[in-house]
Parts: sequence; structure tokens; C-alpha cells
Amino acid sequence: MAVKEMPALPNTADPAVNVQERRKPLGKRIYEGRVAYTMLAPTFVFLLVFMYYPALLGLYRSVFKWAPGLSADFVGLGNFTQLFTKDRVFLSSMDHMLQLAAWYVVSTVGVSLFIAVLIHRLRGGRAQYTFRLGMILPVVIPAIVPLMLWKFIYDVKVGPLNVLLIWLGLESWTRAWLSDPNVALYAVMLRNFPWVDGVAILILLAGLQAIPYEIVESAMIDGASEMRRFWSIELPLIAGQIKLISVLTIMWGVQEFTAVFAMTQGGPINSTMVPGMWMFWNAFRINKMGYASAIGVVLFLLTLVLTLINMKYITTEEY
Amino acid sequence: MSAARTETRELYRRSRSEQVGVFLRGDWWRIIVLGLFLVGGIAPLVMAFLISLKTIPQFARQPFALTFPLHWENYGFAFEIVLEFIRNSVIISGVTVVGVLLLASLSAYAFGILEFPGRQVLFYLVLSLMMVPSAMTLIPSFVLVKDLGLMNTYWAMILPWIASGQVFAMFILRTFFESLPKELFDAARIDGASEWQGYWRIALPLSKSMLGVAAILNILGTWNNLIWPYLTVQKQALLPLTPGLWAYQTEYFTRYGLTMAGLLIGSIPLVLLFVFTSRWFVAGLTSGAIKV
Repeated sequence: MAVKEMPALPNTADPAVNVQERRKPLGKRIYEGRVAYTMLAPTFVFLLVFMYYPALLGLYRSVFKWAPGLSADFVGLGNFTQLFTKDRVFLSSMDHMLQLAAWYVVSTVGVSLFIAVLIHRLRGGRAQYTFRLGMILPVVIPAIVPLMLWKFIYDVKVGPLNVLLIWLGLESWTRAWLSDPNVALYAVMLRNFPWVDGVAILILLAGLQAIPYEIVESAMIDGASEMRRFWSIELPLIAGQIKLISVLTIMWGVQEFTAVFAMTQGGPINSTMVPGMWMFWNAFRINKMGYASAIGVVLFLLTLVLTLINMKYITTEEY
Repeated sequence: MSAARTETRELYRRSRSEQVGVFLRGDWWRIIVLGLFLVGGIAPLVMAFLISLKTIPQFARQPFALTFPLHWENYGFAFEIVLEFIRNSVIISGVTVVGVLLLASLSAYAFGILEFPGRQVLFYLVLSLMMVPSAMTLIPSFVLVKDLGLMNTYWAMILPWIASGQVFAMFILRTFFESLPKELFDAARIDGASEWQGYWRIALPLSKSMLGVAAILNILGTWNNLIWPYLTVQKQALLPLTPGLWAYQTEYFTRYGLTMAGLLIGSIPLVLLFVFTSRWFVAGLTSGAIKV
């Protein structure tokens, strides 16, 4: 990959010094590191109380049948077997999550790549700047606002989508987008049309702009068309950025349930249920905290596997 | 290597600016397509603006086109409610971001500049937290915050968010500190500066823009969180903006003019932040490991 400005020099300290340091007794070295430990102390206090403890407690509670205020019964892996063998809602929620995550990846990568390449090919510097700015701006609108607006757009009576369909003479196509179990998942999926993702566009643009101009120029001299230039030069050279965006989007898609929470709460008839939402539902609506913790652990394992796959196979140098 | 790259960039830029003269030849269709995407993205906000100026009867008669008289008083009504949410959000996200920057810069200094036994192990301990999804800690954190008696206080949000926010901030700050020349710190040490002075007088002043990036990313994260404040705060008076807007919209759902005005007012603070810090925004968003 082209972007490799300064190779990271992990330890510039003279190795000889290090060996000498090592010879000092551990107690002395620890004493000399007291400033460092003091600096780390507040961080670790916070991490212990609000990160490690909850994470371990989540693991621990996932093997109990437990509701707050009641005694916890140890059930071993019972919660997990129930999740994967008996819980139809959970299984369908996994299916919904996969569909959503797949769509998020396709739309984010596809649309962002298209827009990034278009912006990159603009010849006017000012036009480039303007569009780049225009594409990032939506990022600073609080995420809840587009969710609420799209809930309104899908509204059965006054929603602009149905109004538009009627105006186009497609009255038979109108429906209660978010309360029709057959289409609700797709309505949630397709919100935010035309799926402009400013962050992904910025990352891709940065990749495109890092391609040395000589390469592009020599291709142009050889008579490569715009399409050819894209497929043979730009696409392979920004593969790293594309992978990065895909990985981030998948990992986000696995846990994400804010959109579902704000738009449908998992309904109608669980047709938009995703694992995160189902966990929330179990924990805070029907007080099955242990069972919900088990869902949290499943999500953790899923994230872990994705992270490991990412580290082993598709990590690129610069990120 | 980097010198060669700047040269290439320069050449690239020059060849571009020469081409500008060719009256954006071939650019027109790109501008139209990009413009359509922009319009499509902004359309819901325009719709919200048009509706925000209507009373209920006006909306019933003519939902989308402009209707006169314009009812700006919808904004007055929404402002009174949303202002409270904004104030809460500013306090919560503000205290959180200060805490995050303080803790993250201290630990980043220790991990990036100082040598001490156990550095690797401790660092991997923190690194491993990147793999723990917030979904897994949601329930235990809730129980913890409840047991600590923090429900319905700002602290219910601030303390856990400092803990989780500092991890990512620490990573980007550590990488930056490591890239600073070691000689700077050695020189200071020779002159008798303590590590605290090295941190306060050398590392921090040099990393202002990185601190800015970390701050922006953290604010975006806490500002947009819906689920956690929804769980821990039941008092309307303490709600931050995101769950506040959600509650507000649920309450006034069919009074569309008021809801839309509220949503638009709620968008203003971050837009203002963006206007004043767009440089950090762009740098922060491209730094990769975040998905807003």
C-alpha cells in the first residue's frame, strides 16, 4: 500500500541500555516506574469498575437463570441451548441481522465508492471541495433525527412515501411500511436513501488521493478509458480502504440496534427483531436478565470471531 | 519517501489546476449526479423545515408545500423543551470529554513515552477491551449503575462513558505520542524536568490537534447514544438530547409542525461545533476506526 509514510520505530532505545535495565532487580524497576503507574491508575480504576467488571459479570450471568431481586439459578449452558434450539425469535433475529449487515456493507461500499470516485474525478478543485463538504455535513446531524424523519416518511397516512406513490398512480403499492410484517425489515433497511455515508466517502477519497499521479498518467498515456482506469488501477489500490470499511460496517451491523429501537422496537410480530433488540427486550421488558446476558455473550463471540478473522486475513498495513 | 510523495502531490495538483481552464470539460454530468445525491440526502431535512412552519390544519390541507402564514412560533414552543435537553447534553458530553481527554492522555503518555515493567501486559489488557461490544456490557453496567445509586443522575452517563470513551482516545493519542521525537523528552529530563512536566509542558501542547480529534470523536459518540440514557434516566428534566428528541417526538407525534421544529433545533449544536472545528472533524472521521 502506498501510504506508509514513516515505518513505525517501536523501540529506538539502545538495546544495550535495555539489557542493563533488565539487570536491575524487578522491585527497583517497578519503583522507578511509579510515575507511570500513577498515570495509569485513574484509567485502570475506571476500566476495572465500568468495563472489566461488567464484561466479566455478563459472562458469569449468562449461565444463570436470573432476574433482579430474585435468586439466581445456575443453568449451565442452558440459556445458550435454548437460544439456538428453541428460541425462534432469536434465530430469526440472527437472520434479520445478517440481512441488515449484508445490506449495510453493500450499500455503504457501493454508494460511497461511486461518490468518492466521482468526486475524485472532478477537475475543478472548488467543486471537489464543495461536494466533499456536502457529503460529510449529514454526519453532524444527530443520528436520531434522520431516524425520526424516516419513521415519518414511512407513515401510513401522512408519510411522503405513500403520498408520492399515490401521486404516481401506484396506489396499490402503498402500505403501512413499518407495521406490515412483510416489508418492515426492508423499510428499516432502506431508510436514509440514497445511503450517502460521509465517513466512508472520506476514507475512500483519502485512499484515491494517495495514488501517485504517475501511475494514473501512464495509464492515460497508454489510452486506458475511465472505466479501465477504475478497474485496473484505482480499485486494486484502494482495496485496503474498502476492506476497512466493510469490516467496520459488519462489526457495527452485528451490534447495532438503535435504528430498530427507534423505528419499530423489533415489531411488528418480531419481523424487525435483531439480537441486540431481543437482548434489550428480554432484559428490560420481561426481566430475563440471565437469558439476555447470554445473548450479549453470543454477540461478543461473534465480534471476537470477526475481529480475529480481520486480524489474520484482511488487516492492511496502514490501519 | 515522504519528500517524493509531496512532489508527486504537487505535480498532481499542478496538472489539475491547469485543467481547470478547460471549463470543467466532462465534469457536468458528474456534478449533476453528485448534486442528486446531495439533494436526496438533504431532502428529508427540507421536508422537515417546510412542515415545521405549519399548524395542524395547514398540514392536513397541504402537507408538503409551503403554506402561509408561516408559523414560526412552532420553533418557540419546541425551543423551550429542546433547550433543556441540549443543556443536559452539553453538560454530560462536556464533562465526559474532559474526563476522557485527561485520563486518555495520561495513560497514553505512560504507554507511549515511559518504560516500566508490565507495559506490554497492561497495554494488551486495554487493547482486549476493543473487542468487547457494548451490547455485552449493557445489562451488567445497568445493574452496576443501579446498585451504585446513580440512576437519574448525570453520573449514570458520565462515569461509564469516560470509562469506555478513553480506550479509543488512548489509542490514537499513544500512536501520536510515540511519533514525537524522543530527544524532546530526553532533553527535558536532562534539564531536570519531571515526567509530569514532560507530560504537561511537552506532550500536551504538541498534541493539541490530536486532542481535538479525540474530543470530536468522543462527543459524536456520546451525543448520539440513545439506549443508555433511555435506560438510566427516567426524569425528563435530566434527559440528554438524543433520547429527549425521541421522547419529544413520541409525545407530540401527530403535531407534526412541533415535532419537526424540535428535530431541527436539536440538530443545531453539532452543526455549530462542526462549523468551528471542521478541520478536526475531517481528520477525526478519516482516522478510520470509527463508524458514526
